[in-house]
Amino acid sequence: MAKCTAVSRTEQLRVVGRRLPRHDAWDKAQARTLYAADWQMPGMLHGAVLRSPYPSARITRIDTTRGAGLPGVAAVLTAREVPHNTLWTDVPGQTSAVGPLRAHLQVLAEDRVRYQGEPVALVAAQTPEIAAQALELIEVAYEEQPGVFDPEEALRPGAPPVHEEGNLLARWQVRCGDVDAALARAHVVVEHTYRCHFIDHAYLEPEAGVAWVDADGVIVIRASTQVIEHFRDVAEVLGLPHNKVRMIGPYVGGGFGGKEDVTVEVFLGLLAWRTRRPVRMVWSRQESLLARPKRHPFILRYRTGAERDGTLVAQKVELLADSGAYAFLSALVLMYATVTAAGPYRAPHVAVDARVAYTNNPPTSAMRGFGAMQMVLGYESQMDQVARRLDLDPVELRVRNGLRKGDRLPIRQELDTYVAVAEAAQRAWGTLGPRRAPSTPHHRVGRGLACNLQPYGRIVWLHDWASAWVGFETDGSVVIRTGVPDVGGGQASSLCQIAAEVLGVEPDRVSIHIADSALTPLAGTTTATRQLYMSGNAVLHAATQLRRQILDVAAQMLEIPADRVDLQESSAVAPDGRRVSLVQLMRECTRLGVSRSYLGVYRAPAGDPVDLERGGGRVFPDYTFGAHAVEVEVDSETGAVTVLRHVACHDVGRAINPQSVEGQIQGGAVMGLGYGLMEEVVVDRGVNLSTSLAAYLIPTSLDVPDVEPVIIQSGEGKGPFGARGIGEPPIGPPAAAIANAIEDAIGVRITELPITPERVARALGLVTNG
Amino acid sequence: MPAVPFEYHAPATLSEALELLQAHAGDAKPLAGGQSLVPMLTLRLARPAVVVDLHRLHELEEVRRDNGVLEIGALARHRALERGEGLLSACPLLQEAAPLIGNVRVRTLGTLGGSLAHADPAAELPAVVRALDGTLVLRSLRGERAVPAQDFFVGILTTALQPDELLIAVRLPIFGPGVGCAVEEFSRRAGDFAIVASVAVVELDPAGRVARARVALAGVGPTPQRLAGAEEALVGVQPSAETFRKALAGRPLEIEPESDIHASAAYRHHLARVLTARALERASAAAGRPIR
Amino acid sequence: MTELSIVFTLNGERREIRAPAHHTLLHVLRDGLGAVEVKEGCGEGVCGTCTVLLDGEPVSSCLVLAGRVAGRDVTTIRGLGNGETLHPLQEEFVAHGGAQCGFCTPGMILTAYAFLREHPHPTRADIRRAIAGNLCRCTGYTKIIDAIAAAADRETRPRG
Repeated sequence: MAKCTAVSRTEQLRVVGRRLPRHDAWDKAQARTLYAADWQMPGMLHGAVLRSPYPSARITRIDTTRGAGLPGVAAVLTAREVPHNTLWTDVPGQTSAVGPLRAHLQVLAEDRVRYQGEPVALVAAQTPEIAAQALELIEVAYEEQPGVFDPEEALRPGAPPVHEEGNLLARWQVRCGDVDAALARAHVVVEHTYRCHFIDHAYLEPEAGVAWVDADGVIVIRASTQVIEHFRDVAEVLGLPHNKVRMIGPYVGGGFGGKEDVTVEVFLGLLAWRTRRPVRMVWSRQESLLARPKRHPFILRYRTGAERDGTLVAQKVELLADSGAYAFLSALVLMYATVTAAGPYRAPHVAVDARVAYTNNPPTSAMRGFGAMQMVLGYESQMDQVARRLDLDPVELRVRNGLRKGDRLPIRQELDTYVAVAEAAQRAWGTLGPRRAPSTPHHRVGRGLACNLQPYGRIVWLHDWASAWVGFETDGSVVIRTGVPDVGGGQASSLCQIAAEVLGVEPDRVSIHIADSALTPLAGTTTATRQLYMSGNAVLHAATQLRRQILDVAAQMLEIPADRVDLQESSAVAPDGRRVSLVQLMRECTRLGVSRSYLGVYRAPAGDPVDLERGGGRVFPDYTFGAHAVEVEVDSETGAVTVLRHVACHDVGRAINPQSVEGQIQGGAVMGLGYGLMEEVVVDRGVNLSTSLAAYLIPTSLDVPDVEPVIIQSGEGKGPFGARGIGEPPIGPPAAAIANAIEDAIGVRITELPITPERVARALGLVTNG
Repeated sequence: MPAVPFEYHAPATLSEALELLQAHAGDAKPLAGGQSLVPMLTLRLARPAVVVDLHRLHELEEVRRDNGVLEIGALARHRALERGEGLLSACPLLQEAAPLIGNVRVRTLGTLGGSLAHADPAAELPAVVRALDGTLVLRSLRGERAVPAQDFFVGILTTALQPDELLIAVRLPIFGPGVGCAVEEFSRRAGDFAIVASVAVVELDPAGRVARARVALAGVGPTPQRLAGAEEALVGVQPSAETFRKALAGRPLEIEPESDIHASAAYRHHLARVLTARALERASAAAGRPIR
Repeated sequence: MTELSIVFTLNGERREIRAPAHHTLLHVLRDGLGAVEVKEGCGEGVCGTCTVLLDGEPVSSCLVLAGRVAGRDVTTIRGLGNGETLHPLQEEFVAHGGAQCGFCTPGMILTAYAFLREHPHPTRADIRRAIAGNLCRCTGYTKIIDAIAAAADRETRPRG
């Protein structure tokens, strides 16, 4: 088995790899961080959105007279007042063409609403109360239309079309070998259908922002977002040049993909432009849960074939996802699902057929794990059942079949970095320790394992890039400027550590300015587990070049060759101990006209769009591999599942800040537990029944154990210092690991999420009727 | 979102409060701890013209003990019940049930009377009062009446309270040795309303058999439900995990739960049985122990 | 509609405000007094981001009508520490990575503060129970519990 390669430069690193408080931690512990809703401006108006109560209806009339006439109302807007009422929703922040994946929606509904909560009108008023009252006074006449609320029904002939072009939104296929022949020859074939559900990001900070028109006619929007490059979308809707809209991204109170698509930005732009006054818009929790896209539900049909010794021979997968009423990022989410559906295993014969359909359900789009995470339930449930059928150890089966460096995915992409499947499975399982005894005679204890793979970085044909400016002030302190939105994952702080490492200063000598589309070099989106990889490489590149520039000057001052000068403790140091302080060095740079800054651009490996079916090769820059092992206790009388232990092991390549890495793993794993056990947006014929945090259940501290992170540092990631992204990967394995542990405990297989006590009770035959 | 504007009064005396309720009968909402009413106001699900805030009526926070009866003022807070402050320690069942309510913030402000008057079918305290055969003291300018718990809870969020009436106190029996109580709650998530909760009060005879059992359930009907038939069948049973399960297994429970997004009716029915057996088991064990 | 004139103490300072009776303490603090350190996460008392201490006990400021604070002490996170020096809980949240996005942090720290005053020597399980009403979506709670446990090992003397 491949051993984790030793990281060669570890002992030389001074700042990278150190467990440091993030630079934003002090402000957050004192609540001095000004989030989007905390921003106030003189004369500020308050914006609000009127939304459709129906999942499918025709709008026959809108009368805004009474709402607009209410004293204190500054503006009421309907689709008629929106200069360009189309909002493009594909690949946020993307500047290159994306071909057939273009997706769009109406900013405000014109004559048709397709989901409950679709925006119909906007109001700006002097107080939130007046705005709320004005919404109630806008008269909209709806004529309800037949709708379709299930993706399978949506694809049947005669289903009510959600859009004119039909209900099949996108499809992808992968073909590798001859899967049917391989299944026919296989010693065992395990076949199952799995279902997963709508969930919500449920970050604690609801969507919010403030917009104003600046002195030079630039609309400034300060909003909670993962994508400051939505400034372009606002400009397009308003019909303004792109350089007349500026987005500022404050620290975000959680994103998880839910602030990747546009939320309040366009509405704020419209209202501020119309009223020429500052406007604030803050969505209530109820509005947030009602109106914003969810995670895609999938139906996953798996047929897995293996030989007698456990060697996988075939994986045949059919996927159907529910896009809800609009496309948003569904086509791409489906592609992530398609590429990863066979799991982190070698199977010579693979066929994946994936489709996503429109329905009149809430729209679905990006969420942490982005299609790849839903697949884990399928392929890891299958692995356990193969092991069970062949009476093999579940760890052994994964080690035997796990992908290795040099192997190819079914799409023929070669894995050219360390693949930690086998190591992660063994280390996660090994860390569980001795099995606990059940707490009562009614309880049963069981264990489960689940591995996963998750891409980091964007699809290669998007030609992703990120830029960062790194410079010294004359006193030797360091400034980073980069357009990175920080969503709470420590994005900005890790960049400070990278710059401090390269430039030989302590991290507290580094200041970072982030996420301003007018003033910081653009760095792309904080999505797709890409910021440490992309902007980390941009900062690394900028800092390295800057180091080179000033070392030349230091070399002259110290009268030795540049390659013998080191930067440490805010000084340039010669091997004999002579040193020049950064202050002196900067003075000399200024005198000589040597720049004290560098604008670094990192371009990810790029490629052309590939035909997945024919095996196009590289789709993603690289992948992160991991494994979770859980021990659960099941109450055999009620079906309640308690997670007793949870070990989460991932190859992060290099932990720039181990504390941040652990936090990402623990938080992601707990979000995965919520997904597996309790969270669900219940949708009844298009009507969302989970529009409060009392109804939409996210885990409390009593519902989850302490997740124990096990960090593999292979040093082989494509990020700075060999790092891999770790934002999304930990959310993948928990649901499948629990399903596997439940079968181990009580002998029943749960195939549908969330694994509620009632589902377990029914599987046990405790509840039969109703 | 802010609530729809209303007229607000915070009377300093009970009689003042009752005058306000009479003057605005039908338009006024009394506000106790506010942990149920305020969210209904700010979500605009309730739009009363007048709110009568009771928080200055400290007389309603008093607890008295008299002839084996504990009379608890309606404004006694969940935190006080949870801590078993003062005389409240005479009712250990309240001490066991209160920590199950919501979160620490709800318990800081939420009151016994507020919970009972709100009458959420999934709430813990109405089931506790029902299991204890408590009496609710209602007062208006027309006078005072004592209503048994079985008559107080009328339907979902509906009680016997008239628009001009205020729940001012609850009377609960104080048990001696030989009686034990327990609450078993099942919720989807820590601190949430019960999917089902079962409250059991068991009195043992000198031979250690069940002399009398009382069981009330939350979450299985519009009001807290007593299991009269099961209670009868439990008399004479020698307490054990098996005997209680056996006693409950043979019969249909007298409940008609409904399905919602958190659980089906059939599952609630199943839980009612399991939780009741567990509550009986623990209550019997408590009955066998000397009272603290 | 009733307009109230309310005098109360905010972080040790006497404040006199006018507010409509149908506004909550959360509105008064954020919009009236600019105390934006108090966050709004759900508006119905479930999430805990708007936690403040009312006479030393944790409450959801979104579920307290403005009139209720007359004559009482309200403490927000600004009432802990003093800007220059942090409260031990704040220091431990920094040291242990207890804040990620930071949105739950003020409410979480205040809940922990009130809890530790009543239970100065808690077990890890006690801490889990104590913060169960404050939701966090980023950390998985472990580092928050680490921070509170570390603070409990230090002096947690109340302010002033």
